[in-house]
Amino acid sequence: MSEHIEVGNKKIDVDEDGFIQKWEDWSKDIADYLAKTEGVNEMSKEHWVVVNYLREYYTQYKIAPMIRLLLKETGKRLGQEKAVSNKYLYELFPSGPAKGACKIAGLPKPTGCV
Amino acid sequence: MKEKIDAPILTGSITVPKIEENASRNQRCHHASEDHMVRLGFPGTKPVDWNKKALKRMRELLKRNRSLRLYLDICVRCGSCADKCHYFLGTGDPKNIPVARQELLRKVYKRYFTIEGKILGGLTNAEDLTEEVLDEWYTYFHQCSQCRRCSVFCPYGIDTAEISMAAREIMDSIGVGQKYCNEVLGKVYDIGNNLGMSGPALRNTLDFFEEDIKETTGVDVKFPLDVKGAEILLVSPSADFFASPHVDSLVGYAKVFHKAGISWTFSSYASEFANFGMFIGSYSIMKRVATRILDEARRLKVKRIVVGECGHAWRVGYSFWNTLIGPFDFVDTRYPVPQHICEFTLDLIKRGAIRLDKSANDEFTVTYHDSCNVARATRMGNKDGGQFEIPRALIREACNKFVEMPKNVNREKTFCCGGGGGLLTEELMDLRVKGTLPKAQALKNLMESRQVNLMVMICAVCKAHFTGVLPHYGIPMETVGGIHQLIGRAIVL
Amino acid sequence: MINILVYIVGAIFILGFIYKTWIWGKSAVPLRIVGTPGPKTFPGVILRIMGEVFLFKSLFRGNKLLWLGGWIFHIAFLFIILRHLRYFFYPVPIWIIELQIVGIYAGYIILIPLVYLLLRRWVVDRNRYISTPMDYITLFLIIVIAFTGILMKEYIRVDLVDVKAFILGLLTLQPSIKPQSVLFLIHFLSVLLLIVYFPFSKLMHAGGIFFSPTRNQRDNAREIRHVNHWNNIIN
Repeated sequence: MSEHIEVGNKKIDVDEDGFIQKWEDWSKDIADYLAKTEGVNEMSKEHWVVVNYLREYYTQYKIAPMIRLLLKETGKRLGQEKAVSNKYLYELFPSGPAKGACKIAGLPKPTGCV
Repeated sequence: MKEKIDAPILTGSITVPKIEENASRNQRCHHASEDHMVRLGFPGTKPVDWNKKALKRMRELLKRNRSLRLYLDICVRCGSCADKCHYFLGTGDPKNIPVARQELLRKVYKRYFTIEGKILGGLTNAEDLTEEVLDEWYTYFHQCSQCRRCSVFCPYGIDTAEISMAAREIMDSIGVGQKYCNEVLGKVYDIGNNLGMSGPALRNTLDFFEEDIKETTGVDVKFPLDVKGAEILLVSPSADFFASPHVDSLVGYAKVFHKAGISWTFSSYASEFANFGMFIGSYSIMKRVATRILDEARRLKVKRIVVGECGHAWRVGYSFWNTLIGPFDFVDTRYPVPQHICEFTLDLIKRGAIRLDKSANDEFTVTYHDSCNVARATRMGNKDGGQFEIPRALIREACNKFVEMPKNVNREKTFCCGGGGGLLTEELMDLRVKGTLPKAQALKNLMESRQVNLMVMICAVCKAHFTGVLPHYGIPMETVGGIHQLIGRAIVL
Repeated sequence: MINILVYIVGAIFILGFIYKTWIWGKSAVPLRIVGTPGPKTFPGVILRIMGEVFLFKSLFRGNKLLWLGGWIFHIAFLFIILRHLRYFFYPVPIWIIELQIVGIYAGYIILIPLVYLLLRRWVVDRNRYISTPMDYITLFLIIVIAFTGILMKEYIRVDLVDVKAFILGLLTLQPSIKPQSVLFLIHFLSVLLLIVYFPFSKLMHAGGIFFSPTRNQRDNAREIRHVNHWNNIIN
């Protein structure tokens, strides 16, 4: 449980799966760093839209938004009429919204049958 | 840090591998932290005299569970189960042979609890409980999805699930717990569901569905929460509020209630049907988790309890609730408690209370995956085999093209998806992918020979697992769905 | 000497068998864990268990060849035991005499499944992995018993009058002198060994099948509350 990553000069505690332990520890640099571990080479504008929304939602509800909410809100923020597709989200985050996007956004991993 | 997932190539047929010792030895799940353990009333860390404490717990369990003692006593190692476990078929690791998995506990039982083992020792396989044995326990009792398939083929009905549950219970009692299950159970205690979704988050989620359905259909389908005096309390696995394709079945449930015109409600306190207490073999935790639902049914003064698409919890509900938390004399006794959403919906269809337009699902050729706990540990309706026929009847009502899985992977012979029994966790991904091999072979076959493009099921674990695993086999995740997803699309609002 | 041994073995077998089933009987069955699809009624349960006891139905589902081998082995063993009852009765009842010829054939036939059961533990890698030394020893012991039996019947005849007097003497608690055949002694002692090992070993599957909750419970958990005096254990 004493695993950590080093970003810049800072040591950040992470769990066994590399999710950061403390919400306050998160920074954009860490997001960039974690992105690379999840198969995202470059954080684009679209990636940030998703990550920022996840963080906003988590601040309010202490959980990641439900998948459909995430798809719809992402679509809206990207200036589209419709929700983005699940497939689009997987193209952005190859390891998926729950594992990849949440990790990069500094959220704990969703638990249960998901 | 991440290991590459090494998915076998699908050939469309299921074959028995040569044994390969320790093939899945390094597939080990994360240990629960001290906090997770203490929250559930277990020791936070492993005590110095863990060996003595483990044997003491084992002695208690032998008294508490006839199944445990009997099954440790009477196995003749005939090997009828040897080629039946999906984890063995997928990995070739001989410790994933059901009898060999049992043997891990049996050899310790023999050593400390039987005359045979004390006198004949190694000739009977008897062995001391050492660190090494404990480590094997931790590894291989977390490579059993407690799906009971081996039991079907055992001449004495020996159920490896009973043994692996006991082993996990013993390990928890000495502070050696599994993170995935124990963290989740802590969230149920603290927040009310596996996800850790609070009441406000749940309401926000349900609001989204109401708006979304209104936008797409123009109909005001409500998703009531915490409504006192509602006719029905609906309890579904919390994944239905969160993940894909689970949410599509949730929409299906709501549309069914809407058209049936029966008042219903979710509860933010009892917002979880899943009960991981079963996975870790703890009756007291299982009871505590189930009691939340009972308490809420009382508080909300509902007349019926209907439950959503969840496999292991259907076992807990169908087979255990009455004993654990019954009797349910305060609800309407004309209806079973709990009533499965499939029983509920099929009844409405038969009475003409709701109408389905099959053509809405014409883009799909559908097959059905029997989830292990539903198939081998429960029933639905009043007729024998209702757990097979009722879901199938619903599928036939909801679509035009339905194809059965082949007999050797269907009904009571179904294979576990590969992620059941508390193994639905990322660090076991390689094992889970391999455990899916038998079912994936059958599916692949149907996709090619019968153009199947949707496999529906009524279990949140199966849905989540297949969605994550099938892409490793080149099968798109959209192939996975729920029965009420079909119903939700076909129902005439 | 051998007389006392017989009584001790007999006592261990009977008391051991009773003790084991008593332990099973008094250990709790807190929840319904019947394997479904399962019977809803008590007669249904009887049918299910009888199907397992006489037809090995689950084994048939699992492995056809093993089913054939196992079933022939058990049936042959049964007829062999029945045939041997002729040494326990005087005069011998007609039905035992009528079974004599079947019993003799069974004595030969049983060697086929026995050799098969032994070989399959060797030949198939997964069976070899799951076999313990005692699995082989038990099979070997039964082979010795069968083989010495055939030898005595066909090739190296034993004085059956002696044997019968010996057995009847044991039964009537008036022990007489044991037969003077080494072959008989090996045969007889091997049987004693098997009998004394029985209650402590996997051979107790013979009694255990009736206690198996996945097979002997009714599928009615939702309709009828499974109340028993063990429920407080759950609390």
